[in-house]
Amino acid sequence: MKFLLNTGRTIRQGSFVERKNSPAYRNEASSCRMNPVDMMELGIEEGANVMVTGPAGTVVMRGVPEPGLRKGEVFVCLGPFANHIISTETHGTGMPDFKTTVVEIVPTDERIAEIWELMESCGGWRYEG
Amino acid sequence: MKVEDVICPFCGCLCDDLVVEVEGERVIGVENGCTLAQEKFMGDHRLGHPIRRTGKEWTPVSYDEAIETAARVLLEADRPLLYGWSGTQGEAQSVGVHLAELLGAVIDNTSTVCHGPSIMAIQEVGHPGCTLGQVKNRADLLIYWGCNPIDAHPRHMSRYTTYADGFFLKDAFRDRKVIVVDIRETESSNIADEFIRIDPGGDYEVLSALRAIVRGKGALVPASVSGVSREQLFRVADLCKAARFGAIFFGLGLTMSPGKQKNIRNAIELTEELNRHTKFTISPMRGHWNVYGSNEVFTWISGYPYAVDFARGIAFYNPGETTAVDILKRGECDACLVVASDPGAHFPRDCCAHLASIPTIQIDPHVNATTHLSHLQIPVAVTGIDAEGTAYRMDGVPIRTRSLFPSRYPTDTEILERIYAIVAREKGP
Repeated sequence: MKFLLNTGRTIRQGSFVERKNSPAYRNEASSCRMNPVDMMELGIEEGANVMVTGPAGTVVMRGVPEPGLRKGEVFVCLGPFANHIISTETHGTGMPDFKTTVVEIVPTDERIAEIWELMESCGGWRYEG
Repeated sequence: MKVEDVICPFCGCLCDDLVVEVEGERVIGVENGCTLAQEKFMGDHRLGHPIRRTGKEWTPVSYDEAIETAARVLLEADRPLLYGWSGTQGEAQSVGVHLAELLGAVIDNTSTVCHGPSIMAIQEVGHPGCTLGQVKNRADLLIYWGCNPIDAHPRHMSRYTTYADGFFLKDAFRDRKVIVVDIRETESSNIADEFIRIDPGGDYEVLSALRAIVRGKGALVPASVSGVSREQLFRVADLCKAARFGAIFFGLGLTMSPGKQKNIRNAIELTEELNRHTKFTISPMRGHWNVYGSNEVFTWISGYPYAVDFARGIAFYNPGETTAVDILKRGECDACLVVASDPGAHFPRDCCAHLASIPTIQIDPHVNATTHLSHLQIPVAVTGIDAEGTAYRMDGVPIRTRSLFPSRYPTDTEILERIYAIVAREKGP
């Protein structure tokens, strides 16, 4: 099913922003907030993993119900999970489409990556110290 | 020891009323701070020493070696990109711009993925803004458009708007009206007197409809505009015209949505229209602490606020071309110095892939997503905690921050000055 991905700040994202290797940051950055009815229609239980595919790639996140979102819209806090699938296109403004990216979401049994694994998939290498 | 009137070094509010308790080289308590401030001051997750990566192996290196390596990488690059600059002091930003000029580099700051479009709009039509003090003491109508201050600027409402009593508003909570415009329900929309819920990407249309109504052309407005009823638009326009002093604050809901800088231009022109009826101002909700300062410092040295390219020997500015995301997506830069920001977490994946493929050097106190992409990281003191320096509040007011205890880390400025000295020596007079 197709959705419109919106990204933005959450207070939890801000709280853990200087601990990006922590489970707390990873949990928040990988939370894909969805309308509960959409989750029901897709057969996604609360907290179950979802595979989100955007113009730049695919990433596994966690489905989190949020009644304040309309059907067809999903929200992920700004961070490496959302950015893993967002295009670099800026339409000549310098600013990517962080708030209006069309994504495809399906349930999945695959696990959620660590932050360093996302960076390794870009060609980096983990620092765990 | 308790230190009073401490400036918070997290978001653009730069709250200046914190009381921080310090014991030796540690903060052990924070009063008056929001959740973000608590985490910022109490956090103890610094990188202990410079680290360098060769292949898949990280090794500790000395500051002298790290600085020498950073200077060599920049000297050997044909098209270096110097990116970040928002989480540090104005003094470091200043050295950064001079370093960029000396290298013939591109220097960009985090407004490129934040309020860059706001700056483009302001360059087109100006900025009818004011200080937060004016808003606190005078504004009886607040509009938060495309922003969620309760999550992103947790004390904005209690220090300057909804919950802050002012000189002319003795009972702020009752005397001020709050309008929130967003595409989704948020903690902020839940406390609004009027919540305007628009369809995604509908900001430009709704702003245009409000401009038409305020201009006396309301008959042209259809029954529904981007999900907002005609009745609500008229009600909101009446609220705005009836206000004694209105203040619009806008966030990334405008700068990142379709239309981008044109959304902001439309919002500024709505503000101008409302000034035919009453006093109205508009201001961006600047997020990343001293990001406003990076625009100020870049401008007073180079003439441009971000995305400045010195490759021609003069300052050249063209958002969409000289902006960091565009340079990275084209694979154009062959070295990158990241200072006080985290593009690894906040840039699209393909930009991260290019950062990983070139020598990327990071100057930052903490391990972050960019660390995993870097080849070298140099930890520094945190301005406002263990380093003093100047930062600009979101309304453009410069504020001097203090060091709360002696640091065992050098400052960004000290590291950059040493890199600059090596580059200057090699480049010659």
